Amino acid sequence: MIGTTGLDERPRDPELGGPVPYVCEDDDGRGSLRVLSKKRVIQCALSRICAVCGETLDHPLVLLGTREELDRMEFHVPPVHEACGEAVSAAVVGAPFGVLGQDGPVERWVLVSTGGFEHERPQRFDPDRRPRFRPNKLLSTREV
Amino acid sequence: MAIADVKEYTHLTAEEVEQLGAELDALRTEIEESRNSKDADYIYKMIRLQRGLATAARITLGVSAYHRRTRLPGAVVGGAMLGVAKILENMEIGHNVMHGQWDWMNDPEVHSSNWEWDTAQPAEQWKHSHNYVHHQFTNVLGYDNDIGYGILRMAREQKWHPVNLGQPLYNAALATLFQWGVALHDLDLEAIRKGEKDPKVMKKQLKQIWQKGRRQAVKDYVVYPALSGPHFMTTVYANAAANVTRNLWSYVIIFCGHFPDGAMHFTEEQIEDETRPEWYLRQMLGSANFEGSEMLHVLSGNLGYQVEHHLFPDLPSNRYGEISVRVRQLCEKYKLPYTTGPLHQQYGQALRTIIKLSLPNRFTSGDREDVMEGQMEVARGRKSAEELGSRRPETGKYAAAAS
Repeated sequence: MIGTTGLDERPRDPELGGPVPYVCEDDDGRGSLRVLSKKRVIQCALSRICAVCGETLDHPLVLLGTREELDRMEFHVPPVHEACGEAVSAAVVGAPFGVLGQDGPVERWVLVSTGGFEHERPQRFDPDRRPRFRPNKLLSTREV
Repeated sequence: MAIADVKEYTHLTAEEVEQLGAELDALRTEIEESRNSKDADYIYKMIRLQRGLATAARITLGVSAYHRRTRLPGAVVGGAMLGVAKILENMEIGHNVMHGQWDWMNDPEVHSSNWEWDTAQPAEQWKHSHNYVHHQFTNVLGYDNDIGYGILRMAREQKWHPVNLGQPLYNAALATLFQWGVALHDLDLEAIRKGEKDPKVMKKQLKQIWQKGRRQAVKDYVVYPALSGPHFMTTVYANAAANVTRNLWSYVIIFCGHFPDGAMHFTEEQIEDETRPEWYLRQMLGSANFEGSEMLHVLSGNLGYQVEHHLFPDLPSNRYGEISVRVRQLCEKYKLPYTTGPLHQQYGQALRTIIKLSLPNRFTSGDREDVMEGQMEVARGRKSAEELGSRRPETGKYAAAAS
């Protein structure tokens, strides 16, 4: 359980104006749409809370990611509510720099609906040492 | 002590640790890819059985109360059925559904997001205190509040305080009132005591606990007893007996998971960046199994396979038995301890630890020769943001707070 309630209470990103997701914030309250807090990535995934608003997830789960992540079927942002995913993707579309833990600007964002997901912990020799999430019951995908 | 210094596996080379991790990964993939309708049938069968038992129990208690000759036997049989139904719901169904073990079925009802269980703790708070805090920081002193549930000293590394002398009594109270102890678990009483708890979060949590607790109490002590008419109190007693039975059973099973001899505690400052094989090793060394019949495993939510549950918390519980055979073989291959024994033995060891650690270390002998009096003492409770220091964005690690 977190201090804010719902999307409207999330702080605003000074650069992009959109809500700063819970997963992009440190415990001291500092946050930005640019980065993912690894601690909160794991917390959201295991606690089954939305990575954006921090409230309990609903069914189906939604993963927000890039077209490349969809091709690999591995996402870096833990599951979100559909409405939260739409609000954040609207804020980051067209950002001229990397957001939500991405290294550079992203051309196309996708929302993937799934029944469940697998949590992949990083391996020692992985070039990408961040937790990743694989949908295990893919229901639908759409570009935003 | 860092996880890499744990002597139980310092005989392994880095390559062997990686190889063990790869073998466990392969096992996990094999189970993920073989989940099928038989697994789904299993959980649906459990849910039908549990609901059937609960319904039969409520009807038995309601109807038998009206006749003098059936009142007492009805209360005993109904209370017993209700106790078993509550045990099944909490252990094999609720706990495992909320881990996401059955999310792959894509059933909105049997799903980690939507399941609310028959106990006082709100599901949302359980998923934080158990799925995240306990499973991520398993047996890490200062992080994992399941080590003694905030009131018992369960490791020699924990600082002794005169209040620990009362441990045997606190333990008995915790066991009897277990669902209420668990209900308060995510509040983090230690943080409240230190004045570190965010008042906004605490207020939200208390409101949620009050609402859930009230609903549970009204259901078991007002609504269902009202069906018994003038013999209201007979059903109240039977329901209370069912709740206490479930409390005692859940407490025993949970304490057998991490406190028998052989289950290790860790004192690592920062574990966020441990690799997957290291995470597997910590889960294996920090957990303990117990042996028993298939029925015992079902009634314990398959937590007799605690080692396997901690390795793969989101794989279906009905597969832990077959996974355990392979995990045990891997432990033999890599000369790693695999802690197991009969239930009574495992609980006896946990109880002995509770009683022993009510005294200062100098009055008792340790199981591990590397833990000396006054060495590696760890304060109780989770670390605050200030204690963790600032997070380095490039690594995700915390730089230690300046002292």
